Amino acid sequence: MTISNNARRHPLATACAAIALSVSLTACFGGDDEPTPTPTPPPAATPAPTPAPTTAGYDVAQCLGQSVPGTGKSVAGLVVPDVLGIAPSAPAGFPNGRLLADPVIDVTLAIVFLDVNAPGQSPLTFANIPLNPPANDKPFRDTFPYLALPHGNPPLSATTGTAFNFRVDPASAYARVDRMGMPAVSTALIPSDRKIAYNDADPVDDAEGVFVPDLAGQLTALTDGIGDDLLSLGLNICAD
Amino acid sequence: MKKILPAVLAVGLVAGGVGALMLPGESAQTADHLDPPSRTNPNDTATPDRAADIADIYAWAADDNLNIIMTFAGPAPADQPATYDRDVLYRLVLSTDGDATSSEHIIDVRFGQDGANEYGVQARNIPMVGILEGPVETNLTRNGAVMRAGLFDDPFFFDLQGFRETVDTGTIQFDSNRDFFAGSNATAIAMQIPLSNLNVTGEISVWANTRRFGGQL
Repeated sequence: MTISNNARRHPLATACAAIALSVSLTACFGGDDEPTPTPTPPPAATPAPTPAPTTAGYDVAQCLGQSVPGTGKSVAGLVVPDVLGIAPSAPAGFPNGRLLADPVIDVTLAIVFLDVNAPGQSPLTFANIPLNPPANDKPFRDTFPYLALPHGNPPLSATTGTAFNFRVDPASAYARVDRMGMPAVSTALIPSDRKIAYNDADPVDDAEGVFVPDLAGQLTALTDGIGDDLLSLGLNICAD
Repeated sequence: MKKILPAVLAVGLVAGGVGALMLPGESAQTADHLDPPSRTNPNDTATPDRAADIADIYAWAADDNLNIIMTFAGPAPADQPATYDRDVLYRLVLSTDGDATSSEHIIDVRFGQDGANEYGVQARNIPMVGILEGPVETNLTRNGAVMRAGLFDDPFFFDLQGFRETVDTGTIQFDSNRDFFAGSNATAIAMQIPLSNLNVTGEISVWANTRRFGGQL
């Protein structure tokens, strides 16, 4: 179930990295210098997972519906509801839970934009390049608490306290500020005018499909922006 | 494929060498740092709630334990202290029955203070443990569970600038040598709970939320 960044590194990717460094960027990207405006997300009108049509015509239903190899879930099933799912009997690694070292952004970009079941493509297609930094700037520790020590020499709390003034008020005395499950869902796939509603909601709302039109609309807008780039690179995208 | 792969790989080099460093708070779109912007991003509100701003949630099962790490108040410059705010409630929600919309365990974490620079952390409702509390920057253990809150390296790595430029221009512009979170810290709550404490009957699911006492800032 795990998607390990180490286990399936594409040998060509490593070999070609060196080639790419010597290739003229102009040659690679000639004609793609002019920025394409990102279209405004279409209005979310229907609760069905079928996205509203856009002028560019991309339909991301196949993206949300495609199965993610090794997970037994679809893309939609991984992000709706917005929780980290963990099958304890399977090897740990995003999207089976999330480890500190997992390349979650490259994997997420791959499963929402690429046909991850096409020959030569997988959830690790981008991570194997990689697009984003492949590792943290400090190594993680092998034992609890796993996180690396802080950078610099920041002032740390003393550890001598014994009588702390913890609040005892019930949760009802507090107001929701933020929520998170899967990385980057709220930030990248929820449109700005829906972020408050999204962060105030719960997985039960997600499961009812409340935000599916928002996710589909945002993904459509993003695909309208970079779908042509991905196609020109010879990649199979999941959108129709 | 010979022509394709070098081009794909070169994508990451398009903006290489630019080196323009964004400061925390500049229209960030990240794992969850500075989201929702109107409550947590200094660019979008005069009262950003740093303490209640979830940066990331990590959760995985290994060696018969469930590990959960929640980072917040990041990315922070390396010379800044941790953020321990007694008015924020950090809530970890666990489902253990395969239904991600249910919540078999709700763990509430709060911070408190004793002396001027003596901060403490308290978790309530850790399964089969109950309350676990003590000073921050210390491994606190009870009935097989371990918790530690403190200041750490911000564990996230991501080319935020490349992502923003990609979204803004519709052209892929990532640089794998550009980690927006390099050199920055975050405050975190790390917790390890024996799976045997959880009565797992299906897939586990984990999510988190933050709440501010008395209402949002």
